[in-house]
Amino acid sequence: MKKIPIKRIALYLALFAGAVVSVAPYLMTLNSAFKEPSQVLTTPAWEPAFPVTLENFAQVWSQYDMAGFLLHSLVYAGVVTAGQVVFSTMAAYAFGRMSFPGRDALFWGYLATMMVPQIVTLVPLFLIMREFGLIDTYLGLILPTAFGTPYGIFLVRQYFRTIPKDLESAARIDGAGTLTVLVRVLLPLSRPILATLATITFITTWNTLLWPLIVTNGDATRVVTLGISALKGQYSSQYHLILAAAALALLPLVVIFLLFQRHIVRSIALTGLK
Amino acid sequence: MTDNITSVHAVRGHRRAERRLATRVRVVAEAYALLAPSLAGFLLFLVAPIFGVAALSLFDWNLMGAPSFVGLDNYRELAADPEVWRAVLNTIYYVVLNIPAQTVLALLLALALNRRMRGGKVLRVVFVLPWMAMPVALGIIWSWVFDPRHGVVNQMLGLVRIDGPNWLTDPAWAMPVIASVNVWQYTGYTMLILLAGLQAIPHTLYEAAAIDGTTPVQRFFMITLPLLRPSLFFVLVTNTIGSFQIFDTVFVMTQGGPGGATDVLNFHIYQQGFQLFRSGYASALAMVLFALILLVTAAQFLYFRKRTVYDFS
Repeated sequence: MKKIPIKRIALYLALFAGAVVSVAPYLMTLNSAFKEPSQVLTTPAWEPAFPVTLENFAQVWSQYDMAGFLLHSLVYAGVVTAGQVVFSTMAAYAFGRMSFPGRDALFWGYLATMMVPQIVTLVPLFLIMREFGLIDTYLGLILPTAFGTPYGIFLVRQYFRTIPKDLESAARIDGAGTLTVLVRVLLPLSRPILATLATITFITTWNTLLWPLIVTNGDATRVVTLGISALKGQYSSQYHLILAAAALALLPLVVIFLLFQRHIVRSIALTGLK
Repeated sequence: MTDNITSVHAVRGHRRAERRLATRVRVVAEAYALLAPSLAGFLLFLVAPIFGVAALSLFDWNLMGAPSFVGLDNYRELAADPEVWRAVLNTIYYVVLNIPAQTVLALLLALALNRRMRGGKVLRVVFVLPWMAMPVALGIIWSWVFDPRHGVVNQMLGLVRIDGPNWLTDPAWAMPVIASVNVWQYTGYTMLILLAGLQAIPHTLYEAAAIDGTTPVQRFFMITLPLLRPSLFFVLVTNTIGSFQIFDTVFVMTQGGPGGATDVLNFHIYQQGFQLFRSGYASALAMVLFALILLVTAAQFLYFRKRTVYDFS
């Protein structure tokens, strides 16, 4: 028993090293973004910013439409998230708590498409959007994912199935209809999973590059992934600018993640257990 | 509820059956009403495009004028194109760099965290923090971290008097650097799923095995690994499918370079379809990627099915 502390210390050191590696890129980026432009290249990344300056942020903010990029991403991710939560919940209720002909076949169909790589659908999706005249519009950006994705429906359905049927039957006996049961009985019990779905959807949509790259090309709808990758293409060596821009693109998510981390950590763990 | 009540030829039974039928029709109608929005999106934006891409792959079309039917010509062309073969090999290389490293690291982390310890919950959150990062922003950060002169990596190597390579412009190093972004991003996420799997293994098994005088290593190979198989299978399949679709970091960091060393299938498809506007050819390439993913997934299914899977739930 006397030997254990050495093992423990080694274990903690290894875990600590892993934790440092996990946060280091965030911290170094933030640290460098607060340095004076000339110091970003002349001082090592681990040297703390001194004096601290907001100059880099001010420069990306004024020279580029950073505010616009962030706003466009907020609209894109916000609307997709709202749609995903509402429509996935509706579909999940039908799949998880009702019986109707074609249910299982349809559900398997939904699941099967989760294996299809995204790029497969992009050429036809682009053509569909062009046919509807939706190229370079918010609608074109939003429509493909706003009606609920198979992943979202699966996540909520699995959760709904863990809620006892008795609760629902009691409400039905009191004369509640399907919509009332869904809104009054199931939704209040499903807050954790809905918060998780909303957070994951927002993060994924906020981070999406490929679809916006294909379906938009103007300034009016340019999302932050496109904005900062264009910045990187143009000013690849001006790290003080592009790091400040990267920090601005990352930070909203870090905040959202930390707010909902408890739900997210639990639900990621659950995805592996059927 | 049984549906064969109509076989009872009593009036009351008949009425009841009619009422049941009415309820049943209402339930089905309600179910489809609830499904309608997601079903519409599913059919129009997912199912139709999947069939569309298969059809498009048989046409030659630059998005202007009328598409012309060319049969399997696109497939013949891509089979004879060395750039396509290079893209396939690059993609597989990326997956091979990525998945084993990420899975082994995640498993080690999960084993380390699978005990009661101070700060365990905080560590879990810290390890999952990379998972939500924007790959485009990571591409920018990694380009800086691996910058030959101003990057952290070469600066640290400089401290121990090693002259680091020009990472992203060196054909031998560009792909490993890009893969390292993904390993960094998904190791914590994979760890969480494996950790949940570890925690589902009953303690009594370890206790019994310990009484039988087994070593910890034996217990790992005879208890932990076999019982972790469902979780391992899940992370391997989903992470592999995801890795085959690498795009963002390549787009931001190398644009497929240097000299095509990081030209992966997804990026190649994007270039053919949306920069050169060869939609038919890009569709055929997309079918190839799809087939590749199906093949690898099927192989993983077969490999894991051969081995016993225990279920304690």
